[in-house]
Amino acid sequence: MRLRMTIMAALTALTGSVALYPLFSGGAWFWSGLGAVAAVALAGLLTRRLRWPAVFGAAGGLGALLLYLTVRFTASEALLGVVPTPASLRRLRELLQEGWDAANQYAAPVPLVPGIMLLAVAGIGLVAVLVDLLAVRLRRAAPAGLPLLALYSVPAAVREDSVSWIAFGIGALGYLALLAADSREQIGGWGRVVTGPGVPRGRTGEAAPPPDRGAMAASGRRIGVAAVAVAVLVPAVTPGIHSRGLFGMGGGSGRGGTQTVTTPDPLVSLKRELTRTDDSLVLTYRTNDTERPEYLRLYALDKFDGDRWTYTSLQSTPRDRLSGRDLPEPPGLYSAPTRLVTTRIRVRPQVRNMTFLPVPYAPTRVEIEGDWRVHPPSLMIYSLRDSASGRSYTVTSTRVRATAARLRAAGPPPNEIYTRYTAVPERIPREVRRLADEITAGATTAYDQAVLLQRWFTEDGGFQYDLTARPPQHGSDLVDFLMHSKKGYCEQFAASMALLARILGIPARVAMGYTTGTEVSPGVWHVRTRDAHAWPELYFQGTGWVRFEPTPSGAAGQGTASPPVYSQLITSGTADAAQEQDVDSPEADRQERDQASPSAPARRQDDLGADAGADSGRSADGDAPIGWIIGALLALLLLAAPRAARSATRRLRWAAAATRSGGADGSPPDHAEAAHTAWREMRADAIDHGLEWRPSDTPRTAARRLGELLELEEPAARALGRIARAEELARYAPSRPLTPPETLRQDVRTVREAIAASVGRRARWRARLFPASTLASAGSLSRRAGGRLVAVAFRVESLTRRLVPRRPR
Amino acid sequence: MAVGTHGESFMEAPTGSRKPASADHPARSSVRVAGDGRRPGLDGLVQVAHKIRDAVESVIEGKPDVVRLALTVLLAEGHLLIEDVPGVGKTMLAKALARSVDCTVRRVQFTPDLLPSDITGVSAYNQELREFEFKPGPVFANIVVGDEINRASPKTQSALLECMEERQVTVDGTTYPLERPFMVISTQNPVEMEGTYPLPEAQRDRFTARISMGYPDPAAELEMLDSHGRSSPLDRLTPVADAADVRELIEVVRHQHVSPGVRQYAVDLVTATRNHPDLRLGASPRATLHLVRAARAYAALDDRDYVLPDDIQDLAVPVLAHRLLPTAEAQVERRRPEHVVAELVNRLPVPSPGK
Repeated sequence: MRLRMTIMAALTALTGSVALYPLFSGGAWFWSGLGAVAAVALAGLLTRRLRWPAVFGAAGGLGALLLYLTVRFTASEALLGVVPTPASLRRLRELLQEGWDAANQYAAPVPLVPGIMLLAVAGIGLVAVLVDLLAVRLRRAAPAGLPLLALYSVPAAVREDSVSWIAFGIGALGYLALLAADSREQIGGWGRVVTGPGVPRGRTGEAAPPPDRGAMAASGRRIGVAAVAVAVLVPAVTPGIHSRGLFGMGGGSGRGGTQTVTTPDPLVSLKRELTRTDDSLVLTYRTNDTERPEYLRLYALDKFDGDRWTYTSLQSTPRDRLSGRDLPEPPGLYSAPTRLVTTRIRVRPQVRNMTFLPVPYAPTRVEIEGDWRVHPPSLMIYSLRDSASGRSYTVTSTRVRATAARLRAAGPPPNEIYTRYTAVPERIPREVRRLADEITAGATTAYDQAVLLQRWFTEDGGFQYDLTARPPQHGSDLVDFLMHSKKGYCEQFAASMALLARILGIPARVAMGYTTGTEVSPGVWHVRTRDAHAWPELYFQGTGWVRFEPTPSGAAGQGTASPPVYSQLITSGTADAAQEQDVDSPEADRQERDQASPSAPARRQDDLGADAGADSGRSADGDAPIGWIIGALLALLLLAAPRAARSATRRLRWAAAATRSGGADGSPPDHAEAAHTAWREMRADAIDHGLEWRPSDTPRTAARRLGELLELEEPAARALGRIARAEELARYAPSRPLTPPETLRQDVRTVREAIAASVGRRARWRARLFPASTLASAGSLSRRAGGRLVAVAFRVESLTRRLVPRRPR
Repeated sequence: MAVGTHGESFMEAPTGSRKPASADHPARSSVRVAGDGRRPGLDGLVQVAHKIRDAVESVIEGKPDVVRLALTVLLAEGHLLIEDVPGVGKTMLAKALARSVDCTVRRVQFTPDLLPSDITGVSAYNQELREFEFKPGPVFANIVVGDEINRASPKTQSALLECMEERQVTVDGTTYPLERPFMVISTQNPVEMEGTYPLPEAQRDRFTARISMGYPDPAAELEMLDSHGRSSPLDRLTPVADAADVRELIEVVRHQHVSPGVRQYAVDLVTATRNHPDLRLGASPRATLHLVRAARAYAALDDRDYVLPDDIQDLAVPVLAHRLLPTAEAQVERRRPEHVVAELVNRLPVPSPGK
């Protein structure tokens, strides 16, 4: 009866489907999938009972799946709610199309609309059919892993951070259980199994006890669990495979109730938006701002990893919900004058996948329906499940009146801002650092530096706005943009300026969103896809985050971009003078003091230090990154480890023997320990050289066998005999062996040389590089650890068995 | 039956262990010669034992292992079951062993009409003395050779087996102790089984060891023709030791050192037979006792005053195999208990320190 295997196959498909969890919001799909799996399993049982050929078995499974889908999704169109009709099939197709569209429209986790649900359930059902066909019908349990792998590959391909280790572990354990059940059935067919003496059994007189598979199953479980553990742990500790450290601890996740927010890489979509040919309307808004409104910001990218700007993954908690209250205070803004601006924004329904709200900085209050949350440090507004498409909302924002004087007079930023927003990877080349200094030569304050940077990008640097430029993929692309090609679009400009600002020690981040757009009637603005934009935001104490605009604007640049007033002062003479008056004389004094004060050289020193650091980092990696060198060293260490361990054990053993046989208190020396040591060493040497060593061999037998095997010559044979004799006496005789340790040690060496001389070159090298005795003891250690893991797994298994009612036989 | 080939000792013996016999009456005086640091008596024992062995081997040619095993059983105060086809020298071995030790030997030919009293002896009424007088049977001897023991009725068999275990005979309420040493050497013919009563396992358990002679190799057989041609070598055999010597030897053997590891090994081995799937009945605790006792004697014959796992391994098949009952399946598949024991010996790890 293949009932057991059928159930195992169904369970395996089900555990495998757990891996889909990151794709959907909500868990209802799982229960529908459970139904599909059950339907397929039932059909499999039925076709096997009727002894249909395998092809019809698979067809039966598919048929059952179709029935289930009909009942589940299109019962109203179906005959009697069960039998598919053309109408119900048409409806299914429509649903599939809807699901397909929705899948293309939403990023994971997608909302469980019926179409998506249908897709998920049908997928799970198909996998169940395949697993049932392979594992139960064709009795090929191992290839049944392939459809399961397909299940895993979906979330792995869709999501940046792949399947969590728990989901992987559940699925892998299910697969292992399937394999185990299959092997058990096969071994059951072999008949009686030879058991070891240590395995307790029923009374011998009893008639034909069932074959004892416990030991085999235990070792199988052990291997399986160890493999899963390795599969989970190795990527976690291997650099480059896992981005956030073991179990996401590096990212600070794992706190109760938090959820990591992910969207497709914002910068990737930017280029797509900018180059769209249709230039469709994204949103319209009405503002009561009397000046040119602020840009509409979607994201604040605070992390530069050396290649790209991204935002630190958001840890969302229900506390972050907007729920009609005021947002947190904008960071750093406390002294500058502000005014409140109200913006009524309407996002077009055609806009897809907008889970972050475009809002003017700095929003203080957002009124919108749905579960929207705020990220307090950056004031990004996002939703875990809702999309802004088609919504209207009102944003009240604080507009700061930044002036050059105030920005110039800004004090040093607080520590946490400084450390977080000036972090620059080590491997930024030196010339970029030097470039930052060259551009800003003569500037004394952060503000002046920022203005110089912006001017360099827009006027002095010779940059050219070019939408055809490749989006920067790596740090080297940015360097190329800065030093050589000087062609790019807002992404390069914003990223580069933010980077240079950070190099200069100004807290900076890259903001992404839309420019103000085009004013179509007073107070009403239209924003189109081509208005998508990226710009740097720099932090000034007292004023907070301030926008800069390094991207060329106008016809030869980002059409609707506009440099903020406070950043243009130096270039326009009159405004300059007017603004200069704002500057109090003490400020000017301070500037002069700054120029003369030792803090300036100190700062240069810092820069030099950073340069030096970058330099050393660069010279160390050169063309071969430091990671490779460390990896190679690690590999070498790993290679050398067994040998080192072997010699260490050897030395330790002899040292222990020497201390124990010392006879410190004048008692006659006890050479037994030395004999044991010599014997163990010889045993290890023999094993190292690939010679067989049976645990059932007595010293005498072992020595005789070794001697015959190696055809030992006289001195070695005699030495071997002495070692065996000493060991025999030490183990079994009342009197103690008389051979002194020094002789034994010499004998062991003689025997080792003899062994090495009589085995092949390969065995000799293997003994040197991978001493089998050390590896074996390491193996037994890991086996013991594995055994403990298995014990835990077994306990879990028995617990679940107790929880799940026993199925009828 | 294959006795574990021990061959020559691989290692050199410790210096001074093989002292030549010095006295003119070697058997008696050398018992008290002490080797350096070794237990007194061992060297003498070895001398005497070697003499006995040489004497027996002069009659049974080409079978040193069998002879050694027989001697082991004698020194272990056990009984020997020789099982083999006719004409390979079963009775000859028994006789040679008996004759080389100057002690009383009785031989009983077991037949279906043999009565228990024919073995133990009878109380007969003495007309002159007007009282019952005990006429001791053939069991009152140092070495009793029971030929074709499976031909006697179970009743008679059990009478002999009781004597073997109790080392005494009770007739009409009076108990008569048997002589020491007392050893029964029974022979059994495995081929002509019609009209026989195979020994039940409970009774086989009382024999310390079962051996089979096996055919001699051609060279030994050729030599046999020469030696047996002129006169029977058995007639030329003169005793090299007497019962007192053997008693002393037995005493020495009893004090052989058995390290805890070796004891554990013996117990493990016996326990393993009890858990083996091919066996319906494993070895008894008496088997463990016999095994260790035989190992002591075996070690002594190898000139050692301590027992090695090697001794246990060599003796495992002769001492254990005849006590085991294979399952029906194993019988069908011709997996004999000998193979099971050999397999266990090959698999069981030997005792080693620190493990």
